[in-house]
Amino acid sequence: MAEPHLESIPLAAIDWQDISCLITYGPLPDRLRRSIRAVGLLQIPLLQARQHGRFRIVSGSRRLLICRELGLEPITCQILGESLSPEDCLRLAVYDNVATRVLNPVEKSLVLAKTLASFPQPQVIGEFMPLLDLEPSIKLLSRYLELQRLEKDMLNALADGRLHERTASALLLLEPTDRRALFALFGEFSFSVSVQEEIIELAMEIGRREGMAPAEVLKADPIEALRREQRRPARHRAEEVRRYLQGRRTPRLTARWERFLKETRELGLPSGVRLVPPRYFEGSHWRLECTFQRGKDLARNLRTAAVVAEQPEFQRVLEGHSIS
Amino acid sequence: MTYLPKHLVIEDAVAESPVVRRILDALPEVPVRWAARVADQDSASDDSPTLEVARFRGRFVKACPGTRSYLCCGYQILHLGTQCSLGCTYCILQAYFSERNLRLFANLDDMWLELKEHLRSSPREVQRLGTGEFMDSLLLDPLTHLSRELIPFFASQTRAVLELKTKTANVELLEGLSHGGRTIVAWSLNPQDLIRSEEPGAAGLEARLEAARRCQEWGYRLAFHFDPLIAYPGWQQGYAEVVNRLAAAVDPERIAWISLGTLRFMPILKEIIRRRHTGSAVLQEEFVPGLDGKLRYFRDLRVEMYRYLSTLLRRWVRDPLIYLCMESEDVWRETLGFSPVERGGLSAMLDRRVLT
Repeated sequence: MAEPHLESIPLAAIDWQDISCLITYGPLPDRLRRSIRAVGLLQIPLLQARQHGRFRIVSGSRRLLICRELGLEPITCQILGESLSPEDCLRLAVYDNVATRVLNPVEKSLVLAKTLASFPQPQVIGEFMPLLDLEPSIKLLSRYLELQRLEKDMLNALADGRLHERTASALLLLEPTDRRALFALFGEFSFSVSVQEEIIELAMEIGRREGMAPAEVLKADPIEALRREQRRPARHRAEEVRRYLQGRRTPRLTARWERFLKETRELGLPSGVRLVPPRYFEGSHWRLECTFQRGKDLARNLRTAAVVAEQPEFQRVLEGHSIS
Repeated sequence: MTYLPKHLVIEDAVAESPVVRRILDALPEVPVRWAARVADQDSASDDSPTLEVARFRGRFVKACPGTRSYLCCGYQILHLGTQCSLGCTYCILQAYFSERNLRLFANLDDMWLELKEHLRSSPREVQRLGTGEFMDSLLLDPLTHLSRELIPFFASQTRAVLELKTKTANVELLEGLSHGGRTIVAWSLNPQDLIRSEEPGAAGLEARLEAARRCQEWGYRLAFHFDPLIAYPGWQQGYAEVVNRLAAAVDPERIAWISLGTLRFMPILKEIIRRRHTGSAVLQEEFVPGLDGKLRYFRDLRVEMYRYLSTLLRRWVRDPLIYLCMESEDVWRETLGFSPVERGGLSAMLDRRVLT
């Protein structure tokens, strides 16, 4: 490969339509704009000479766009020869970008899509995925390629970190209308990534079971009411949305849990003593939790709990039979 | 319902196996590829079913993969192949094996050696072995004729039985065999509407019951597995209908045991079912993670289903040996009124039944 040479280039000579090496996505960063405005271009863009005095951007598209915005020209660029193949130019673009910054998920997806069009799949998995800090696997490759199907607003959210790639992948399992409804919900209520995945799953499963679209599930009155209750803490409202969907997906478990709570309240266990059922009521290992400050409080609570444990009502709680 | 592969891949190492000869004779038109070793990448696409015939290099006899969290029946697997082509939406084999081709092990000389040694040296008083864990016991029988070797062999065993579990009606070759009461032919049963939607490649209910009736006529003992029991709108009526038809088809005195087990699966299967069986409704019920990590129906529903089925069955069979597959003691007590622990353990209960 011939060494690039420096050349002063007028902006009009750049082929802005040629995006074959473009792997940036997202708004132009303000910090970069401020820097260029204050001290000019410090990192020299890399272009490839093309026919008729035109130039292809290989690396530095954001810097060049800011220069254009600020009316700075001509610009000193490194120029690669015409003989360099498009594949080599793309490779240079990827290596140059990952050396200077962390690519966002949309950009990683772009890199994978573009390299896959130019290089054999094993090379994309073996060379480019580790370069992007991605585990080299065909499954993950497919997942990242799929991200390209997202709508613009979701791609923007993915690029600026408001949407996690795991959530984005889960949203892609949905029809566009449902995807939009879930995405909107995540904008209104703050959930962790794993809870977002759970909520997508719940909405899908409820929809299948009840014969309606997930978007319809999210229009349920309790969720609408929580949307309106802006004065309550966002975290509480989000937790209630989750609990509502869980309850609707698992009505038997929810009913059993509510019955258990009612029955244990009626048992008369001392304050600070809590009966904990097996997880999902599966198995027969129950626990009794006791909070205390002094030994004599513990002794008193345990005596009272022992009396309660002898009552038939206690046994019925363990067996899951209704007291009434 | 004869399984007809479009391709055969046969390992050179088993070229001389009699079972290979029988398969080649039965499928003269099917193209064969001979291979030094059958590998997973030989998997063909769905519309091009391939039967792989290989030399098995592992143990032919192994314990059923039970779990300590639930009571296990102590069944032992006679491992003669993997995968199934019946296409049951809920089938756990989809998660067990990454490749979709059926694979048959044809180094039967090795199998016989190991089986005989196992029966000779095992400290267990009774051996209950079955071929239906990782494949359907009779799906390939019209091609392999393995039943004609296995059944007479077990006929001469005094303390071992073979259980052939199937969802097919492939029993023709069982006629006239000397079985000595040491082979139990078993069917997995579900309502016909569920068979249609969730077991598309399996024999219909009537065909299974007719096959069971014929086996009974030939003197075999029978077993039935209501496993997986699947909850769906109207399941009570559906299963009552199955029990009615079963009662009309077979003599309850000839039934060795009946098992009940609600649908359960490794979480990874959920995604596979969604991807491969878009029309399946088996995932619609509510599932919770069980003590073994598998997803199961919430226990109240399991108890309801077991109670319902066991009540129906007890009305029909005087002294049935009904057992729950992979359930906890508390669910046993709540549904059947006792724990196997009180009767020496589930394995011992089934062993005693073998000897009667």
